[in-house]
Amino acid sequence: MITSPRTHMLAALSAIIAGAVGTAVIASFLGPAAERIVTVFLISLIGVVGIGIYSGNSGILSFGHVAFMAIGAYVSALLTLPTQLKIATLPHLPEWLATTEMGLLPATVIAMAVTGLVALLVGAAIGRLEGSAATISTLGLLIIVHGVIIGWRDVTRGAQSFFGVPRETGIWTAVAGVIVALVLARLYRDSISGLRLRAGRENAIAASAVGINIPRERLISFVLAGMTMALAGALLAHFLGAFSPKKFYFNDTFLLLAMLIVGGMSTITGAVTGAVIITLVTEVLRRLESGLSIGGIELPAVFGTTQIGIGLIILLAMFRKPEGLAGLKEWEERLFPPAAAGNAAPAMPKAHASTPLVAKGMTMRFGGLVAVSNVSLALQPGEILGLIGPNGSGKTTLLNMLSGVLQPSEGTVTQGSVDLTGIPSHKVADHGIARTFQNIRLFPDLTVHQNVLVAALSTRGGAEAEERAQAALAELGVAALAGENAGNLSYGDQRRVEIARALACQPTLLFLDEPAAGMNREETDALMETLRGLTRNLGIGILMVDHDLALINQLCDRLAVLNEGKLIAQGTPAEVRQDPAVIEAYLGPGKLSSKKNTKPQGQPGRKPELAG
Amino acid sequence: MKALLLSSTLAAAIAAAPALSETLRVGVATAQTGALAYADVPVSGGMRLAADEINAKGGIGGDVKIELVEKDVRSDAAQTSIATQELADDGVSVIVLPCDSDPALAAIGVISSAQIPAISTCASSPTLPMIGGDYMFSNFPGDNVQATVSAKWAWDEGHRNAYIIYSPDTQYTTMPLYFAEVFEKLGGTIAGQATNTIGQQDFSAIATKVAALDPQPDVIMTSAYEPDFPSLLKALRAAGVTGQIIGSDGIDSPTTFSLGDVAEGVVFTTAGHATPGSPLEVFNSAYEAANGAPPETIFSAVGYDLIKVLEAAVLAADGSVEPSALRDAIAGLENVQGATSLITYKGTDGMPVRQVSLIRVADGERELVGQPSPDASLIPAPRMQ
Repeated sequence: MITSPRTHMLAALSAIIAGAVGTAVIASFLGPAAERIVTVFLISLIGVVGIGIYSGNSGILSFGHVAFMAIGAYVSALLTLPTQLKIATLPHLPEWLATTEMGLLPATVIAMAVTGLVALLVGAAIGRLEGSAATISTLGLLIIVHGVIIGWRDVTRGAQSFFGVPRETGIWTAVAGVIVALVLARLYRDSISGLRLRAGRENAIAASAVGINIPRERLISFVLAGMTMALAGALLAHFLGAFSPKKFYFNDTFLLLAMLIVGGMSTITGAVTGAVIITLVTEVLRRLESGLSIGGIELPAVFGTTQIGIGLIILLAMFRKPEGLAGLKEWEERLFPPAAAGNAAPAMPKAHASTPLVAKGMTMRFGGLVAVSNVSLALQPGEILGLIGPNGSGKTTLLNMLSGVLQPSEGTVTQGSVDLTGIPSHKVADHGIARTFQNIRLFPDLTVHQNVLVAALSTRGGAEAEERAQAALAELGVAALAGENAGNLSYGDQRRVEIARALACQPTLLFLDEPAAGMNREETDALMETLRGLTRNLGIGILMVDHDLALINQLCDRLAVLNEGKLIAQGTPAEVRQDPAVIEAYLGPGKLSSKKNTKPQGQPGRKPELAG
Repeated sequence: MKALLLSSTLAAAIAAAPALSETLRVGVATAQTGALAYADVPVSGGMRLAADEINAKGGIGGDVKIELVEKDVRSDAAQTSIATQELADDGVSVIVLPCDSDPALAAIGVISSAQIPAISTCASSPTLPMIGGDYMFSNFPGDNVQATVSAKWAWDEGHRNAYIIYSPDTQYTTMPLYFAEVFEKLGGTIAGQATNTIGQQDFSAIATKVAALDPQPDVIMTSAYEPDFPSLLKALRAAGVTGQIIGSDGIDSPTTFSLGDVAEGVVFTTAGHATPGSPLEVFNSAYEAANGAPPETIFSAVGYDLIKVLEAAVLAADGSVEPSALRDAIAGLENVQGATSLITYKGTDGMPVRQVSLIRVADGERELVGQPSPDASLIPAPRMQ
């Protein structure tokens, strides 16, 4: 369930509990004013980590989660408001609601459940949007919920203040709430769903290719975040005793987002850092707002100082540390770097015997441009098929169609009796097809281990994921790098990690898009040995695109040659090298006469080695 | 030895000082920014003038100085609750709340548990002290009283057919519902009603609806205020509606008098009018002397009234600034002379009995229509709208 080392979790959770309790103890020594500031701070912190559960893990900035805070506040307040007052101030409430009066705890739990349900519906609707469209849709959510609260006068008193709510949130209630929220957020971050979502945040296409259903993971985090916001809203409502829809609108969204952005979106450490800094600064500025005298100099009262101050802090933070003050790692991840994996890595399991992958009549049109035209080919288990052709001949497009990244305009892909045509990328992985990308698509801010593990967790039902991940790391010789951030590796290492990640999916077929690009000769040779081992020992079939013809010639059993989107030749490397169409495609029509000696970078002397 | 003697005498003098002259610390949690600033900012000006005048004479009764502890609540309910709590923690004797009953209601929980009396600067909803309990007071003629005065005037002018435009967004903007009640009680007809939201800006739909009425209403009553009122007024006149427009104290601002022809003849109720020799005229001159310009609205004088009420309460409590003693003293005040009116709390639930002035916009200037005393039997009972 939890994918990070146990020491991290123990350290994080005990720090959360100790920190929350310690803060409250100190505050209660300082008197009621300090207690109240700390209570507000703790409630804000719940809100910040609430937004962070979604925005931090998915990478989609949400302006809308304060709406869930509003729903939590109104629902819980409607449940705790004394019946007498409800009848006096909300005469049109349905009777069952008017006569319901309960304590803060059950009301909060119900409010979280109701909000979770709303979040589920909203999340299902907007979860498929990407990038700025997703962010703008959350803004719409905020505005719509605000409008509904104002319009639904019979239940919410509209734009008027909702008052008389029992003021039951004390500092210890807030401590309990913040522990629940922080523990939930911390556990989620390193849960399987959280890790998958973070992988999706880092690179959506690669995440899909290793079997991650990003919209589903997004929805999970959206609902969890909504429920956490509802907790914050319920506690805030019962702290203030009175509020209006304005309390849950742009001002507070701005404040909470400021905390999240200044501290760093993607970690709990960041959320806490941001909340502490912004709270300290606002408390200081709010006191300056009504004017003060320093050494006899009277400063005038300037109302609005607080907002200006927060704006400046955001600017400063963005200039100095765009990822937030806490960066991308939790404090415990920095303090206790994970140990490199032991040497006793389990062996890679053999690929299940599988039927060939057959593509027929594959065609891809981008508007008027035909990138791939009527290409048919078959990939046998245990063979290495090289796909070559000049730049722009359609190799990567063909690979993308075969792996579900692109939907073919025409044509079918089948594996035995299973039709794989047009199924989404994340499901292709479960049919034993894994791939790498021409321009490396790792999850740069995750560790090498996490990169590989998340692939193992998301394929084959996640069975024995840790073992598969370790085996794949060992197979490619990158086990020693397991604790490094993938984005910090050398180019060649990144290529190897990408192959290891694909292997962790336990594929029967592996698509490699220029696996040797950027490697030196020794690295390429080592890679060749590894790939041969995969086919020979594990029975994995490989479809490889590369421009390194030496590699292609030595490694591939068969070659397929594309030119201008059409398949112009297919056969053993020797056959293909003699093919006039291939020579023409590579060198132009004028060279046809001297074909015997023209093999682009060809190395005829090595022909006998083509056995592998 | 001598030094020790001197310093201990000094220490004793310092320790004894607060006992000799007490300070009335007034917590002011009002809207210096936001939608209610149009009223609360001038109120603060009037409060400061009154406090300065009293302090210049040595304080209330010559020895209790007034200290204003001000916080901006940004016209927001939640912020009012927080600021009020801070003031209560700070140990103030009395708390001044924003001009609208909504944010003022947000402070109920705090003031009742801290048992500190609170006065809203100019909230006129009679439900505020009703719901707010023993510690909540207002400082303005109630909505129901204002509506009674304007409805009676309309009736006496011979108007028989009225139309009301109100917003359910706040208690204050539902004043036309009280107007309708009184007008019907007098025998008039309500031709119809329309609702708007605060900050709506476009009133053409409502204006078209009113213009289509046959017969045209004699009177259109609304308690919309800036920025809604000017747009509403322009839309009605542009649509060809010529009936008498009646407003309320919310439009007692320079904007209304600067609208030109469109506002000509508009009648509204407010807290006072500076007739020659009146206390309000005296206040206006004092204000001009202190600030270099006369007050822009009646709300400055209302702020002055508020401090005069507190002064009277401290005197009635024999110089005590203890919150519960002050509460009891305020509740028993009778005929306190403020800048706008005589003010009585005795016998009310916290909504003071004050004079209501009817003002007409004539040639862009204020013209006093009358300062009638409303008939108690006509005044509707306060209720949440």
